[in-house]
Amino acid sequence: MTRVALRTLVALSLLFATPCARAQVRTDTTPRTTGDSALEARTSAVAAQLRCPVCQGLSIQDSPSELAQSMRSLVRDQLAQGKSPEQVKAYFVSKYGEWILLSPAPHGFNLLAYAIPVLMVLGGGAFIAVAVRRWTSSPTPDATSTEDPT
Amino acid sequence: MQSVNGLVGHGALLLALPFIALGIIAVPVAVNRGRRDWLEIGYGAVYANFALMSAAALAMISALVTHDFSVSYVAQVGSRETPLFYTIISLWGALEGSILFWAWVLSFYGMTVVALNKSRAGNLVPYAAMTLLCISLFFSILLVGPANPFHVVSPVPQNGPGPNPLLQNHILMAVHPPLLYLGYVGMSVPFAFAVGAVLSGEAENNDWIKVSRTWTMASWGFLSAAIIAGMWWSYEVLGWGGYWAWDPVENASFLPWLTATAFLHSAMVQERRGMLRVWNLNLVVGTFVLTILGTFLTRSGIISSVHAFTTGTIGYYFLAFITIVLVTGGVIVAGSSDKLRSKGKLDSAASRETVFLLNNLFLTAFMLTVLVGTLFPLVAEAMRGVKVSVGGPFFNRMSLPIIAALLFLMGVGPALPWKVASKAELRSKLIPPTAGALVLAAAALIAGIHDPYGILVFAFVGYAATANFREFSIGAAVRRRAHGESWPTAFLRLVEGNRRRYGGYIAHFGVFFVALGIAMSSTLRTEREATLQRGMTMQIAGRTLRLQDIWGREEPQRQVVGATLEIMNGNRVTGTLEPRMNFYRTQQEPVPTPDVRSGVLGDLYLNLMAFRPDGSNATIRAIYQPLVPWIWFGGGVVVFGAIVAGWPTARRRRVPAVVPVPAPPKPPAREPEYAA
Repeated sequence: MTRVALRTLVALSLLFATPCARAQVRTDTTPRTTGDSALEARTSAVAAQLRCPVCQGLSIQDSPSELAQSMRSLVRDQLAQGKSPEQVKAYFVSKYGEWILLSPAPHGFNLLAYAIPVLMVLGGGAFIAVAVRRWTSSPTPDATSTEDPT
Repeated sequence: MQSVNGLVGHGALLLALPFIALGIIAVPVAVNRGRRDWLEIGYGAVYANFALMSAAALAMISALVTHDFSVSYVAQVGSRETPLFYTIISLWGALEGSILFWAWVLSFYGMTVVALNKSRAGNLVPYAAMTLLCISLFFSILLVGPANPFHVVSPVPQNGPGPNPLLQNHILMAVHPPLLYLGYVGMSVPFAFAVGAVLSGEAENNDWIKVSRTWTMASWGFLSAAIIAGMWWSYEVLGWGGYWAWDPVENASFLPWLTATAFLHSAMVQERRGMLRVWNLNLVVGTFVLTILGTFLTRSGIISSVHAFTTGTIGYYFLAFITIVLVTGGVIVAGSSDKLRSKGKLDSAASRETVFLLNNLFLTAFMLTVLVGTLFPLVAEAMRGVKVSVGGPFFNRMSLPIIAALLFLMGVGPALPWKVASKAELRSKLIPPTAGALVLAAAALIAGIHDPYGILVFAFVGYAATANFREFSIGAAVRRRAHGESWPTAFLRLVEGNRRRYGGYIAHFGVFFVALGIAMSSTLRTEREATLQRGMTMQIAGRTLRLQDIWGREEPQRQVVGATLEIMNGNRVTGTLEPRMNFYRTQQEPVPTPDVRSGVLGDLYLNLMAFRPDGSNATIRAIYQPLVPWIWFGGGVVVFGAIVAGWPTARRRRVPAVVPVPAPPKPPAREPEYAA
């Protein structure tokens, strides 16, 4: 077991060539929750929007990985120092790039991702409205349609 | 030196190619020259393909079981220490094996289609068989080319690394992939019938839509089960206490499910009113394209994901195949759309038809949202050169309004009659379910849900569930009055009398359970983490957990470290949980193995996060999530509904065609069993 623990430590220290370098090794103690529930709620809200760099698409809020845990405590510390959620996110973007945000920042080219589904619903809805009006305005209902038990 | 397994397997794959090619040529010859004997050759090729793919797959299983490391795939995923069960299911544990399995399932579908439908008159079935052979050809080329699992390894290794630890850590890995393939590959069949309908000039006939609908129902049932099983696997294995992460591969399985769901509904409009023919063709083609696209995304390594296998040249093959399918699909849709222009008329905007149109709108928009989100990182990187992520927050925000709309429509649709609803009908059908909406919204508030979408989901589920239930209760009441039946008999007879309709409503109920489970577990999740020494306790959701022991154990293929925790109610121990970490010798990172205690109202989920190597303490993450088991149960109900609706009838009810078309003469005695 020690071999594995060592390997994990080595892997961890490599990962911590990032702002989390001073995070504690988690086997010692990891208070996931502090007494301040309002701070916890704000931490969760921000952490849910940041990507865990070593996972497959999980947020640092959801991920059980050690890196995610230390990033979350970093979020909590920064919020406790009085930074706004936007500032905390900006900090992580400056360290990791835009990739760290789980929803693309809604500006510029990224707006396309938000716009396409909305346009689809609006356009499709308009199309259906027009089509239904046209199909119902016809004076002669389809004579060949039949009664059916369905 | 090639082993017997390798020889048989590789030989079968090589032999399949000429058979498939012969079959593809035989069908047009048979049709154009009126040569019945050539049709037999075409169908014979379909059977031969199944026989040869079975031989190849069985040779692979035999190679896996006998640890024949001269076979490249076995050398890649086999190991002498892996338990037999996981050795067998590693058939689909890596790229080449999964392609082989795919080809096998496809050949099985081909055989079933021919066996069940060949007595149909006309050229629909021959061309459908030919289309399936064309798809088989693609996978066979992969299998003798870039995804050949039967390469000879020399010198023969003594042992192999074993399957990916994540895939040998849970029994659901035996369930999820086969179901997924049955669902995914099954979507080839409606596509084949669509192509067949256009090629044979029978697209105006509703025959193909009925066959396609039955096959879609079957595949859809498998796919629904597969998606739920995948969620369950993720929940039980990945250790974060969630079941859906909008991972690209989860999305890939969900995309064709959405379009297939849309088709199951809109096909009814075509059958009854002769409308939406071009649209239905689009949905069938689109569903198939999405299955291939999903496979491409996950098998090419283009998108990183839990499921991504290896990289290699196989991506180009898929890209070429997708292009061919898209062009073919475009040609058949465009070429036949003039002939298929809608002939139907709507009697009123207040009708079930309109609700189906909206249902299709939102399902398609849902599909597009997921597709855009999944592909956007690729597009953004190509266009801007910047890596962006599209994850849970994006998908949740974008899809929740659509989900809410769909849930509401699930209540309105069944309540409205076809053609036209009078004002009185609208009032009597649409107003009473509001009571259900109020009750469930109140329940959500009492349970402590503050999230507006959570409350909305509860309200709409309450509305829709009441509306669907009233379809059963009103129908059964009518039967009781008419025939003097007891309630249970009346219910059963009601369902029996129109399985398609009531099976659909049953599937709706499954969706309601899933929706409630997701809404509740995602909004009211509580979570604690503590580092405990033996005898110490922690609290979660009104329960006390006491760490009783930390232990280690050697198994042939792995080392296991676990913690034993007692769940205490006061001083009474009500159960124990054993979250573990499994260390496979081929992987640095341990595989978390959470332990879950399920109750009707919720799950207690424990994960071992860390431990002192000397065993003096362990860090435990405890998660309590209400109603998670409702998701699995709801998935079962959905599948049950699909079975009720889609199970082939022995006798065929004669339903007059909506639009009279010169139906090809049917052989009088033989009844196609697979007709809806």
